[in-house]
Formats: sequence, C-alpha cells, structure tokens
Amino acid sequence: MLLKNIRNFNSSIYISSRHCFRPYSQGNVNEESYIEDEFRVLNLRKTKGKQRENAKKSKPPSVPPPRYQQMATDQDWSAVWPGPRSFHPATVPLPLRQGWVPLHKTTPGKFANAELMKIPNFLHLTPPAISKQCEALKKFCTPWPKILESEEQQEKHFPVKFISSDYVHGLPTIRNPLSRIVTIKLNLDNLQLDKHAKDKFLRLVGERYNEQTNELTIVTDRCPLKQQNYDYAMYLLTALYHESNITEEWENTKQEADMEYYDWHRNKSKVTSTEILNWRSTSDKKIDPPQGYINSVETLMNEGENDYNLNKYKEEVIKMLGLS
Amino acid sequence: MLLRRSSLIKSPFLRLFSATAAEPKMNLDDFRTIETNPTKHSKEHIGKYYQIDDTIRKKLFAHGGIPKKYEKQIKTFNESCLMVRPQAIEIIDFIKKTDFSKPTVRYVLYGERGAGKSMTLAHLAHYGYVNDFCLIHVPYAPDWYKRPKECGLSTIHEGMIDIPLECASWLIHFKLQNIDLLTKIDAKTSKTYDWSKREQTPAGSTLIELVDHGINRAKYAADVIAALIDEIKIASTAGKFKTMVLIDGFNSFFYEKTRVSVDKKARRWPVTPDKVTITQPFINITNYDWCNGVCILTVDIIGMLGWDRESNLPRYLLGKEGFEHLDPFVPIKMENYDDLQFNSCISYYVNRRWIQNTEKGFDQELKFMSNSNPYKLMELCNAL
Repeated sequence: MLLKNIRNFNSSIYISSRHCFRPYSQGNVNEESYIEDEFRVLNLRKTKGKQRENAKKSKPPSVPPPRYQQMATDQDWSAVWPGPRSFHPATVPLPLRQGWVPLHKTTPGKFANAELMKIPNFLHLTPPAISKQCEALKKFCTPWPKILESEEQQEKHFPVKFISSDYVHGLPTIRNPLSRIVTIKLNLDNLQLDKHAKDKFLRLVGERYNEQTNELTIVTDRCPLKQQNYDYAMYLLTALYHESNITEEWENTKQEADMEYYDWHRNKSKVTSTEILNWRSTSDKKIDPPQGYINSVETLMNEGENDYNLNKYKEEVIKMLGLS
Repeated sequence: MLLRRSSLIKSPFLRLFSATAAEPKMNLDDFRTIETNPTKHSKEHIGKYYQIDDTIRKKLFAHGGIPKKYEKQIKTFNESCLMVRPQAIEIIDFIKKTDFSKPTVRYVLYGERGAGKSMTLAHLAHYGYVNDFCLIHVPYAPDWYKRPKECGLSTIHEGMIDIPLECASWLIHFKLQNIDLLTKIDAKTSKTYDWSKREQTPAGSTLIELVDHGINRAKYAADVIAALIDEIKIASTAGKFKTMVLIDGFNSFFYEKTRVSVDKKARRWPVTPDKVTITQPFINITNYDWCNGVCILTVDIIGMLGWDRESNLPRYLLGKEGFEHLDPFVPIKMENYDDLQFNSCISYYVNRRWIQNTEKGFDQELKFMSNSNPYKLMELCNAL
C-alpha cells in the first residue's frame, strides 16, 4: 500500500515538471493515464474532504427585534423603567449618540456603547414618575405647620439645620456606615456673642465658619451611630458657646501680632500722628488726629489697598497736615 | 470805538507780535517751555519739556539720579530736557505751601514700572538745588542691597555688615551736590566724633571736613554718614538751612531679602537690611522728628526680587513696618502719559528727528503699543 502511494507520489512530481521541460524518458503506459487527472493530494489520514463541506453550520439563535420598536407612543414609561438602572439601548426609545470621535466622523450610536452605560441616568425620575410617587406618599404626610410658612420663620424657630443621609438597599444588612455622618449648620447671629466672645469663637471653629454666609458648619462622623454623632455635634456647639464666653487670664496678654484686625489706637501710627500734630506745642491739651484720618488708615490696612482707599488716605493726610 | 478796540485785540497779528516779544524765536514749539527754573513751573507747564543746564545736570546727577537709558538719550539728543509732569508740579505746590516749622512731610511716589518716578525725582532734585535745599539724594537704594561691590563685617558695630565702597561713593555724590551750599553756610559739627585713637573730627569743624574724612577713610564712611545725617537734622531743625531728602527705591530698606553677605557659602538670603550699616541713617532721616525739611521717596517694584513683585502699591511694597515708619505720608500716584503729555513726547521725538517715519496714524499705533507708558514708549521709539 505504502509502496503504491510512494510510486504515485513520484509520478505526480514527474508529471508536474513535464510542462517545463521534456523528460529524459517517456515512462510506461500507467504513468501516461494520470496526465488527464486532477492534481492529487497525499491523504495520509484518509479523511473525506466532501464530508466536511456538508457539515452543518451552527446558526445564530434568532433574536427578537429591539424592544423599543414595539413600544406604543402612549405607554406608561415608569412601568418600563421603574427604578435606577444603567442604560439599555434596546429599552430606551431615544436615538442617542455618545462618545468621542476624530473630526468629521460620526458619533457612535447607542448600541454596544459603553460611554452611555458609564454615565448615571435619571430615566426613572421623569416628572410623571415623581408626581406618581408623591401621590402615593401623600397619604402618609401631615399638613405643613402654618407658623413655618416663610423661610425667616423657619430660621427663627429652628435655627440649627440638621443634615444626614439614609440609605436603602437590598442586602442582608440594612446598615450603611455612611448614614452615621451628621452635619449641623447654624447662623452665627443666633448665638448673640459679644465682641470678645465672637473673636474667640471664630478662632476656635477655624475653617468651619463661612464668612460670606455667616454660617457655622459642624460635621461629626466619629461615632458609629447617627444619634451619637448628633449628640456629639450638639455637645460641641454648647461647649464652643460657653468656652468663648469665658475670658481666661492669659487673654489679656494679647499682642499686636495676635490681633485679627488693624486697630489704629493700638499701633505706632497713633503715636506718630499725635506727635506730629503736637510738635513743639507747649500747651497741655493735646490735639488728637481727626477721625477721618483714623478711619482711612484703618480701612487701608483692613480692606487692603486700592486706588480708592489710597486716594481717601491721601486726602485725609493732606487735610490733617494742612497742605491743602 | 469800543467795538474797534475789541476787534483789534482779537486780531492774530497783534497776538503773534506780543508772543514773539515775550519769548525768543527758537522756542515757539508748543512742547517746550523756556522756563528752566523749576520753582516757576506751574500747571500751565505740564507736559512741556524744559532744559536743565548742563553744568547743573553734571553736578546733580554725575553719580546717578537720571536713569541710564535716559542719560543715553540725553547724549544722543545733545540736550538735557525733562518733561514737566503733573505729579512734580503737585509736589512743588505742596512744598510751597508747607509750613517748615512743622515736622517734615513725607511724600511717597508710587506707580508702575517706567511711569516716571525717578525722572520726577530728578526734576524735584533740580527744584531743591535751585532753592538752596541741602540735598540728601540716593539715586537708587536697591543697588546697595542687590549689587554691593564689597561687603565685610563692620569693625565698629558688632554683628553688622558694612558696604564701605558704596558708603564712600555716596559721600562723594553728596559732596558734589551740596558743595555750593555747604561753603556758603557755616554748618558746624555739634560734637566731637572719635573715629579711632588717632583720628577724630572735633566739634566745630565744618560738614565738608566730616564728609572728606568719610571719603578718605572708607572704613568709617558708614559712621560718617550717620554722623552727617545727625548733624544735618540738628542744623535743619535749628533753621540753618532747608533739607530735601530724595530716595529712589525706599522700600528696599524694609525688604528683608538682600544679596549682602560676608560668607558666600552661608544661606541664600542671610542678611536683612537692618543688619547693614548704611540703612539706619536713611531710616533716621525719613523719620518725623525734625523740621525744616521735606522727604520725597519712591517705592519701586524693581527693588523686590522677581517672585515678590505682586503689587505696585505702597503698603505692599513698604510692608507693615515701613508703612508705620512713614505714616502719615502723602501717597502720590505716578500715572502714565495722558493725551497732552503723550503728544508732547511724540512731537519732541519728531523734533529731535528720533522718529523720522511719520506715516498717518503712527502715533496712535505707538500709543496702543506702549499703553502711554513713558519707558515703553522710549524703548519703542529707539527702533524707529
């Protein structure tokens, strides 16, 4: 068998080379009969090539058309998309496109688009869905107190704002560690502090005080429970209030460098201007610098210098020194 | 009759005639004034150029006082002309109104770079010279702290640093500016100054002798400056003469970073100005405790190091300490050119043939490019 194959193989080589040049010898009859045949392939495994061709190709499973093509235009959207969910191209009936492309290329469509799935969506919070939920919740609500209609009244009766978060999720535990964090906000005018106490209070609270809104913000998160953190925040507020109303003995040794603002009466400027005005005067009565000058120096130092403040200062100095 | 008279007065011939009678023909350009005496400068001279006599200029500004680039321009134009700026007139008016029996008034010139602070100071130095003020003129104080030629530990004051060459050269500058006045007036030293075992300046010697000692013995120059300034304060307060203090870049006396150092391997900014012997006398002279004088100081952002140049305004540049030292002072803002001064400057350049290509709208272009800043305008016109 093998021998026959080898002979065939030899002859096939022989024939293929025949087109190029004349063979040395004209071989026997057996060899001649192969000339008209197809190019034969050495088939060592003895497989049948035609069987493979006939093998069934696996068909892809039949997919129904995307859901949005079958949606009615007046459907209840909140039933289709009831809760928060990442974007699904077949469900959302909007021709959305998203993603970066080079110039003059089209933005990718919504199918198989990771960009659309990454971003949070609010498709479950459409206005009709919200009003529907509010309607459902209404039966649990009590009427809003009439005394708290305006914001001023709310501020007056409840000066302390209490902010915290609750988390709802489907897990074996219903606790979320983030729900322990408590924020307390308070307008500083409600505390009615005097000048010293306010200065001390602001130094104690540091960056928790917002100068623009005059608001104090205390965030507590060191205890494991919300109630504990709330108690701690209220304790801090109480302690801060009472501590700032106490004047310690060492506070009297406050130096110029400790001052939170420029006070003309405590500074060298007072000595200088008073001495200039009373230069070589023999009378006991000392002339005091005019109030306008004092104010202009204080605004220059406290507000910072600008053209307006400098001009004001110049005018006052000229007036005081009698140069006008 | 009345009608005819009024028409006569309005006729151009008569006006031209009267004008030529008052002024010589060469100065008909409206950007110039023939009033070379700064005492007589008033608001009508604002924006006009006046000429300083060359002998006076060489006497006053031989060792600085006019910025180098302007000095070069003076040489090129072959005449030393300064523009009368409104701020200079303002200060001259203030000086005229000042009651000299009261403590010295301090004026602080401030403004952006190249607005003309130093040139105004030069104008005022000329005013002081003409009016027989004793000039205490520091051409540019930051030079002492930024580029000292030689620095060493002071042998007299422990822990202080001395810049003897700068001290001596300032004394030369002082002597050149005030030699006329000091020879005219008999200002004598009030006490004996012992410099060393062998050297002393006895009480009753003239201020020139004191200055000469400092020039000859640079080692003692800083102390001579201190003594000289004390003597000038005493003499001024006594009413012997009036004193004008002109310091350019005064803020460098209060700026804590200097390049003065004895040991180069030491930390980068080891010496503060109050550790340098030359500082104290000039802080002393700008104090309010004397009279019969006037202090005109400039604060200059270039005196600061690059990363500290945040604002041109005096409170920032002087710092709290410097501000309190000068308070109450009169801040005077050096503005850029207004239209009148700008046009005058352009016509001066055209007249000097410094600008030769006068196409239509070239002045508008220059104005836009320089933002009417005098220094920038000068730089731009150099290339035209």
